[in-house]
Amino acid sequence: MKYERALIAVAIIVFILVLSYAVALGAMGAALPPPDLRELAKNYLKLTINPWARNLTVMSPEAVTAIVWDFRGLDTFFETAVLYLAIIGTVAIYRGIRASRRAVESEEGSGMSPIAKSVTKITLPMVLAVAIAIALHGHLTPGGGFQGGSTAAVIMLLVLVVFSLQFSMRIGITKGSMLALRSTGLLGVAVTSVLVLILGLLIGYQAFIFQNQPKAYAPIGMPAALDGMLISGTLILFNIFECLAVAAGLTLTFILVLTHEEEIRSAMKGDKHE
Amino acid sequence: MSSDLPIVTYLTGIVVISLFVNMGISLYGIFAKPSLIKKLIALTILSDTANVFAILVGYRRWPPGSIVRPPVLTELPPTPEKIAKFASTAVDPLPQALVLTAIVIGLAVIIFLAVVIMQVYRTYGTTDVRLISRLRGERR
Amino acid sequence: MEVLALTLMAIVALLSTLATYLAITERDLLTAVIYSALQSTAYAIIFYLLMAPDIVLVYIPVAVGLYPAVFIVLIKKSERYEGG
Repeated sequence: MKYERALIAVAIIVFILVLSYAVALGAMGAALPPPDLRELAKNYLKLTINPWARNLTVMSPEAVTAIVWDFRGLDTFFETAVLYLAIIGTVAIYRGIRASRRAVESEEGSGMSPIAKSVTKITLPMVLAVAIAIALHGHLTPGGGFQGGSTAAVIMLLVLVVFSLQFSMRIGITKGSMLALRSTGLLGVAVTSVLVLILGLLIGYQAFIFQNQPKAYAPIGMPAALDGMLISGTLILFNIFECLAVAAGLTLTFILVLTHEEEIRSAMKGDKHE
Repeated sequence: MSSDLPIVTYLTGIVVISLFVNMGISLYGIFAKPSLIKKLIALTILSDTANVFAILVGYRRWPPGSIVRPPVLTELPPTPEKIAKFASTAVDPLPQALVLTAIVIGLAVIIFLAVVIMQVYRTYGTTDVRLISRLRGERR
Repeated sequence: MEVLALTLMAIVALLSTLATYLAITERDLLTAVIYSALQSTAYAIIFYLLMAPDIVLVYIPVAVGLYPAVFIVLIKKSERYEGG
């Protein structure tokens, strides 16, 4: 039985090695990998930080973050909306299920052994610091809002599992507080996307949604550098708020998923909670 | 550079064909395996392989004399010579931005599907699709 | 040097195919989740060799941290062995 699986795995690898010889003879047509980039890619690379093309640039040396939040900002806006809908769907499935007061205040189920708790206590501030650093440096180095938010969500999941869900609810990591943090983050993203538009309407200039730097016919924008340090306009605000929203949203999902089965079954049968 | 063109094409062909085989095996897993959780695992493998394909499209051959670099400009403040050198040695940044969006959307869908599978188990008592179809909607 | 980088990418791609095959044909679902995490690590190495550091920073927490956690909670609350 085991020899059968090993034989099939070896056969698959031999098949791949033989079929790629056909690719090497030219079966895929064009040259693989291509010898040079497309013109569109070269345009994006030349325009990410270019003080001589001030009307077209983003003033951020990180091309991927510039594309995500400035050149193709509306894609990211709708992707945030899709993540929001998935989390709201999870909250809707778990509606009406709350941990009973007796379970939250009891001492049983107090988590894993002291070794695991001590190690988690040491690594929690380190991982949170790394996650916030990844989010804040998103416009200078590889990083950004999603990267920092996912890293923070991993360490919060570890806290929920090691210290037990009841203890986490006692110290304040509850469904309500995570929903509040997520709503703050999403509100920040929405306000930042129309910030320059509102400023333009107040002062009297023309502006458009998701504007970052001043353009040819809309001469108002966010500052690209603050006191000599590069902040790339709205990119740093987007990264901060998106990190907060993603970390809080994923922690909320795990709080709901880790609920005990007895409480869910009793809520499904219709028992009242004390 | 054209002297090792067959070797470079062969190695890239190995990567591309093995990703195609990954897609084929995970599609087989979605269709043929009866457990809902195994279907979910195969779905994550399928979506991750599609993302690797998109990033592979943005790769390029090494320019003569230097290595290929990620699309981040590391020497500030910029001068026109540095920008021109950057545009001739970096990979394509556009597929990376689109794949970033795709990974987050895949995460949202998989987490929601996992919650729905938990609810299916609570309602029907099993995660085997053949047994669920035989029940025809009766609760456990 | 380019041939060395591409050889490494080819070896890791073959390793990912092996891990995918083992994950799909395994009847113990917990072992299948471990094989799937091994395949995600191979994909993270491929992303790094394709010069995409932004994607590596998203992919490692999501595919090696969050997906196995969700799957293990799901397996704990339902069945561990695939029937049939």
